[in-house]
This record gives sequence, structure tokens and C-alpha cells, in this order.
Amino acid sequence: MNGKSEPATYSELVRRYFANPVHAGLLPDEYNDFVVGEAAESESGARIVLSAVVDEDTLRVLRYQVFGCPHLIAAAEAFCDDAEGKAVTVLTELDVSSLMNSLAIPVEKTGRVFILEDAARALHITVTGTLED
Amino acid sequence: MLSCGAKAIYLDYAATTPVDPAVADTMSEYLTASGSFANPSSIHSPGRQAAAATETAREQLASLLKVKPRELIWTSGATESVNLAAIGTARFRSGGGKHLITMPTEHKAATDTFAALEREGFEVSYLPPDADGLLPIESLASAIRDDTQLVSVMHVNNETGVMQDIERIGECCREKGVLFHVDAAQSVGKLPLDLSQLPVDLLSLTAHKFYGPKGIGALYIADRSGCHVEPLFHGGGQERRLRPGTLPVHQIVGLGEAASIAGTRQADDLLHLRALNERLWAGIGEIDGVLRNGSATESFPGILNLSVEGIEGESLLLALEPLCVGTGSACNSRSNESSYVLRALGRDDALAQSAIRFSFGRETTTDEIDAAIACYTGAVSHLRAIAPASRRTA
Repeated sequence: MNGKSEPATYSELVRRYFANPVHAGLLPDEYNDFVVGEAAESESGARIVLSAVVDEDTLRVLRYQVFGCPHLIAAAEAFCDDAEGKAVTVLTELDVSSLMNSLAIPVEKTGRVFILEDAARALHITVTGTLED
Repeated sequence: MLSCGAKAIYLDYAATTPVDPAVADTMSEYLTASGSFANPSSIHSPGRQAAAATETAREQLASLLKVKPRELIWTSGATESVNLAAIGTARFRSGGGKHLITMPTEHKAATDTFAALEREGFEVSYLPPDADGLLPIESLASAIRDDTQLVSVMHVNNETGVMQDIERIGECCREKGVLFHVDAAQSVGKLPLDLSQLPVDLLSLTAHKFYGPKGIGALYIADRSGCHVEPLFHGGGQERRLRPGTLPVHQIVGLGEAASIAGTRQADDLLHLRALNERLWAGIGEIDGVLRNGSATESFPGILNLSVEGIEGESLLLALEPLCVGTGSACNSRSNESSYVLRALGRDDALAQSAIRFSFGRETTTDEIDAAIACYTGAVSHLRAIAPASRRTA
């Protein structure tokens, strides 16, 4: 169709995570006690919700729900894959630049990855608040 | 795991069609030293042979459109034809007025050309379509003024397949004494067009949309008083000085052969396309939130454009691989631009970005349509399953 510029391209890693989003979706029913953090971008309509089961200060189970482009889906999958099982502080240590480099996300999509960072920080705030309670 | 399989399924015939093998064979006879490669403007025997071949092709196209061969001018394709029709007519008739009419849903070949004419001092009215994508005749009638020189409308919209009533539009133009140009890039060779009966003054076409080669098209200029264009190029006497330049004989004979083939199998092709369209719609239309873009009745069956609620367009397109389809999204890392055509039909950005254009052709099979149905259904289901709740119910 017309009215468009060059098509988006995706790295093999983005394609792999997009096609196999094992951390995507809701937490399994067995988990009733979980916390969430979310963020959105009004311009693109992109939105991400991170859900976590926290054991002591460890992210025992981490899931995401996402409405967004393939780069955001891949970034969320990569982050959850890495962060699951780690200390909750990992939620504040998301390195946007490093994640974008590893997935070869184009710089124009930086804003999308910042949504993921915002969601991770929101989740951390919720988690730490819960831990303090 | 999300997967539609590995084999590419081409459903983008509105973008371009493969060259018919018979067309390719014909073209190959006009390229090498063993064939008629000469310049058709040369007066020697090989040149005359090449010239004769271009005239045979002109007759083949004229026969398809039911016009006189001399009413056809070879161009490089529909974009050039539209430029020549719009700019050439506007400049030629500028002494009588500088008002032009078109639609915002036209191909960029037209909208960008009319924008250029605005910068040249012409005034352009862009008549909005109704929700089905059709031009309301009454709005056209009231928009035509004493100083209007040209109305330009596409026959079949390249994104939605919506088919304008060019007979009524043309009649309206004739009543008001205004020239009527039709961008028929998507319809020539696919839909019956009898220009001896239709009130059309200029018509643009291109070969690669009907199984001919890329890089060759034509502009029909009716042999009527006042119907003339100023050339855009200068430098030779070819094509009645309206489009000078050495004629690409191999491409012209390819267009002629494609026109000849279209004339014999157009009716069967249409039946095939209609069956494919109905099969795809029956398989996908039932999905919750799927919407057809454009008129369900006044449309070319070779194109089916669908939007879906609650789905991000770029992800949908990637999830549909290996389907080769068109998208309503800019699908561009640097832009969220959605289709201006769909927005003109009243679709919001999200729906416009989720649009997928399926377009079929002679080679499309029912198995491929079934695979497309399965792939689309699976992709929508998967993307909805991973979306936050408010999006799943959007």
C-alpha cells in the first residue's frame, strides 16, 4: 500500500523472542499472591503490564502482557527471561541501551523500550512497598 | 510458539503481479541481437520491424479498452500517466480556469501530483468519500465550478478495492463540461472497461498490475475536442510529441501481450477472484472485532482489506509471516503513520494500523486462502492472549 516509508526489519533475536514469548500472558492460576507494575505510551498506544510472584526478595515468577510492536514484545521477553529468579533490584537495573544493542532494536524505537523500563520500575515500587508492609 | 509455517504465500497482487510466461517469452524476442532490438524510430528495416511491434501492442491494448490505437500514449507506468494527465491537462487548460477536483483517498501518484499543482498556483478540491469509500455524486456536482478543468478519480482503490462508479462520475463531468481522468491502474486487465461507451476523457494504466512487465504503462487521451495535454518531457517526436523518448520495445510488446491475454481470460479471472474473496471473508469475517474496510458491494473482488480491534498492526504483520500481504500501517520504525486512505474512511489510527490488505491473482489457490485464514486467526488469537486486559476487550 502507499503512504509508507521503508519497512521495519527485525534481528534474528527479535524474531526468536517474538515467535516464542514464553513469559507472555497471565500468571498461572496457582499464583494468587502477586504484584504488578505497568506503563504505557499514549502516542503509539503501546502498553505493558509486568506481573511477578516475589519470594523473599527474589522474583520467583515473572510474566508480561503487552500491546505493542515486535521490538517491545521481544524486549519484554528478553528482560523477563533474564530477570526471573533474580533479586528484585534487577527491576531497577534495566539497561535500555544494552538491551537495545543486544536485540538490534533501531534507535527510533527507544521510546518503546523506555515503556518497559517504566513498567519495571513501577513493579519495583510495588514490590518494595509490599515487602515493607 | 507462534508459527504460520515457512512457505511464502503471495497475497499482494495489488502491489504487483508476476509476468505471465507468455508475456516474458514475447518480450525476450525484442532484446538481443537475434531479435527485434532496433530503435523503433530508425528508418531502416529492423527499426521498422520494431516500430511495427509497438503498433501491434498498441492495437492489442486498444482492443482491450475498445478505443482507437492513436488515443494511447506509452509511458513508464501509471505514476507517469497520472502526472501527464493531471499536470498536462491543468497546464493546457489553465487559460479557462485553474480549479481541479480529486479525492483524498487517491494513490500518492495523484495526491502528490495535485499537491505539486497547488504549489504551481492551481486550486484543488479534495472531495471526501463516504464511509464506504465512495464518492457521493451530489458532492461532486456541487463542487464543479465554472473554472473547473479536470476531475480525477481512481477506478479501483489500491488499498481497499473500493470501486467508484466512473460512469456516473463521468456523466456528471460531461454535463458540466469538465474533463474526467480515471486512474485505472488496479482495474485495467482485471475488470471489463469499454471506453467507447464510458464518459472518460483520460485514463492511466500500468502493465505490471495485470501480468505484464514493470516500467511500462499508457495514458488514454480521448480523441475529443478540448481533450489534450501539454507534454511534461521534451526532446523528440515520439508519441505525437506528448511523451518523447526512445520506446522500450520489449516492454511495450509485453504490455500488448498482457492486454491480449487479459482480454481472453478476464471473465474467468474475475470468477476466480470472487470465489477467493468470499472464501477468505467467510473464514476471517467471523473473528470478533474484524472489520472490512470499504464497501462490501462496490468493490473489486481481487482485494480484501481488513482491520481488527485490539491488535497492534506491526506485530500482526510480523505474526502473519510468511504471508506476503499489504499493511495499513506505515510499519516503519520511524513513524506511526497509518493509512491516510483508511483514516479518510473514518477509521481511527489503531484500526487503520491494524489493517491488512489481502489481494489475489490468477495463481492464488484455495489452499493458500485456507492457510491465510489459519495464519490470521492464529495470529489474532495469540496477540490478544498476550495483551493486557483492556486491549483484549478493546
